[in-house]
Amino acid sequence: MDSAIAQKTWELENNILTVETPDPSSDSIFYYDEAAQAKFQQEKPWANDPHYFKRVKISALALLKMVVHARSGGTIEVMGLMQGKTDGDAIIVMDAFALPVEGTETRVNAQADAYEYMVDYSQTNKQAGRLENVVGWYHSHPGYGCWLSGIDVSTQMLNQQFQEPFLAVVIDPTRTVSAGKVEIGAFRTYPEGYKPPDDPISEYQTIPLNKIEDFGVHCKQYYALDITYFKSSLDCHLLDLLWNKYWVNTLSSSPLLGNGDYVAGQISDLAEKLEQAENQLAHSRIGPLGPPRKKEESQLAKITRDSAKITLEQVHGLMSQVIKDILFNSVRQSSRSQNDQSGPEPMIET
Amino acid sequence: MASSSSRGLTFKLHPLVIVNISDHYTRVKSQLNLPPSLTSTSSAATSNNNNNNSNGGENNQQKPPRVYGCVIGVQRGRTVEIFNSFELIYDPSTRSLDRSFLEKKQELYKKVFPHFYVLGWYSTGSDAQESDMHFHKALMDINESPLYVLLNPAINPAQKDLPVTIYESELHVIDGVPQLIFVRSSYTIETVEAERISVDHVAHLKPSGGSAATQLAAQLTGIHSAIKMLNSRIRVVHQYLVGMQKGDIPCESSLLRQVSSLLRRLPAIESEKFQDDLLMEYNDTLLITYLAMFTNCSSTMNELVDKFNTAYDRHSRRGGRTAFI
Repeated sequence: MDSAIAQKTWELENNILTVETPDPSSDSIFYYDEAAQAKFQQEKPWANDPHYFKRVKISALALLKMVVHARSGGTIEVMGLMQGKTDGDAIIVMDAFALPVEGTETRVNAQADAYEYMVDYSQTNKQAGRLENVVGWYHSHPGYGCWLSGIDVSTQMLNQQFQEPFLAVVIDPTRTVSAGKVEIGAFRTYPEGYKPPDDPISEYQTIPLNKIEDFGVHCKQYYALDITYFKSSLDCHLLDLLWNKYWVNTLSSSPLLGNGDYVAGQISDLAEKLEQAENQLAHSRIGPLGPPRKKEESQLAKITRDSAKITLEQVHGLMSQVIKDILFNSVRQSSRSQNDQSGPEPMIET
Repeated sequence: MASSSSRGLTFKLHPLVIVNISDHYTRVKSQLNLPPSLTSTSSAATSNNNNNNSNGGENNQQKPPRVYGCVIGVQRGRTVEIFNSFELIYDPSTRSLDRSFLEKKQELYKKVFPHFYVLGWYSTGSDAQESDMHFHKALMDINESPLYVLLNPAINPAQKDLPVTIYESELHVIDGVPQLIFVRSSYTIETVEAERISVDHVAHLKPSGGSAATQLAAQLTGIHSAIKMLNSRIRVVHQYLVGMQKGDIPCESSLLRQVSSLLRRLPAIESEKFQDDLLMEYNDTLLITYLAMFTNCSSTMNELVDKFNTAYDRHSRRGGRTAFI
C-alpha cells in the first residue's frame, strides 16, 4: 500500500522514533514485579539527584482516560491520579482514574478531600488485579497551556517530599481539540533552593495574558520530562481494526464549529498582547543602549508566532470543510475552484 | 445461539471501553507469565501454568484467562451509549459474583461520573457460552436487560472486523420452555473529538509540534486515509451492483433500496443558507490569514527598523552630530 510507504518516508524525514510494534512477548511492561518495585523504593536513587527521572511512558489506556476526563470537565479544571511504576530513570504510567474534586487552581488542599476516595479506589483495584501504586497526579488547564501554576508547584513540591516517586501531568483538552494533537506535559519540581545547572529549552507555547505572570514566576522551579507512549500488542491490533470503523468520525469532525469560542478568545488575547507590545516598543526607541541584545525574542516576534499558529489551525479546519463540501455536495457539477485553500499556506512559515 | 436482534435498540460503543477491556486482559495475562522464582498474585478467574504465547509456546496449549467486568454508560430512549467499564471479581468455578465489590465500585464511579449507570458486563473469549448466562442473570437485578460485550483477544492478522460483539438477552420459547438466549446486536463506534484525537495519537504516533509543513502533512494524511476508506467502501458497493446487473449475483431488492436512498441523499446540503455560511467561514479564515500576514510583516519591519537604527545612529554619533536624545 503506498500510503504505508508515504507514512514511512514522512516519519523518516521527521526523525520520528517509532516505538517498535510490540509483539506478544514484549508485553512484559504490563507485568508488575512487586519485589523489584519495593527494592527500588528503598534505594531511593532520586533522593540525591533532583534531575533523576527523565522520561515518562504513558500507556494508551491512561492517555485515553485522562484526555476524556479532562475534556468532560469543559472549562473547569479537573484532576485525577495516575497509577504505575518506575523503571530506571523512567516513570511508567499504566492507568489513571478521576477524582471527584473540582477547581484545583484555587484550592491548595484539594487532594486532602480526595484521600478517602483514593484509598477506596486503590483497595478495590488491588482486589481486581491492578497491583500498581499511585505514581503521580494529573489535572487539566482548559485553554491555557501545559505548565505548572504557583499552586501546582507548591502541591507538587509537597508531593515530592512525602510521596516519592511522584509525577505531575498537565493536559489541555481545549488546545488538544483545536490543534488536533494531544497537548500534554509531564513535570517534576526541583527542591527548594536548587538551581538547575542549565536552562532547559522548552517548547514554546502561547500563554494567555492573565496567566503569564504566574507562569513566568514559577517556570524555573520545575522541569519537563519527555513523554512517550506505549500500547500492548492487543491494543495495537484493536486500534488498527478500530480504524475500520471510525474513519467516518475523522471525516465528519468539524473543528471549526467546535473551536469557535476558543479561537475568538485567543484572538482577543493576542490583541491585548499586541497593545502591550506596542507600548513596550514605543518606550524603547533610544538607540543602541535601549533594546536588549537579542537573547530573548521580542514581544512582537512571539505574537507573530502565536498568530501563525491560530491561522494554521483555522486553515486546517477550513480545509476539511471544503473537502467535505466537494465530496458530498458537488454532485450537480457546480463549478467550485479547488485550489483556493492551498494559497495562504506557504506564506506562513514559522 | 446468535441471530440478529430485532429489538430495535441502537448501541454506541466508545473506544475507551475497548482499550479498557484489552488492558485488563493483557494485565491478567502478563501477571500469570511470571519468572519461576515468584509466585502468582493474580486474582483473576482461572489459574494457569506459565507460558508466554497462547498459541505456540512450550508444551501445553495454554488457555488464555477470561476476565470479567462491568460496562457503564447512558441509555437515552432507544439509544444505548457505552462510555466506560471497570473490572469485577468473578469465580467461574463456584459461579459466584463478588457483590460487595461490585457495589463499592459502582459507588466510586458514581461519584466521578454521576450520569452513568450499569448497562451490562463484559468478558473475553471467542464465543458466547452457556455458562455466561449465569453471570448475565446475576446482573439482572441491577439492570433488567443487561448487555454482554464480548471481546475476542486472539490476534488474527487476517481479521478485518473488530472482534467485539454485543449480545442482548431475549426470551425465546424453545421446545415449549421459555429460555433466555443470547442474541447478537449490531453497534456503532461513537467518539468525542478528544477521544478520537488521543486514539489517533496513540495508534499512529502523530508528531507533536514541528514546523507548519509537518502539521499540514499530518492533517492531510489523516483526511486522506479517511477518504481512501470511503473510496474503497464505495468500490465494494459498486462492484456488487455491477455483479447484480450482470446477473452473477441474485438481485436483492432491500439492498437496492438502501443504495438508492443513499444516493438520493447526495448532495448532502444544497441550500442557499449553507452556501452563505460556508462562504462566510471561508472569508473569516482568509481574514485571519490576512491579519497574521500583516502581523508578520510588521514584526519583520520592526526588526528592520531596529537594525537600521543601530547601524545608522552609531554612524551619526561618531560623526559628531548630536543624536536627538
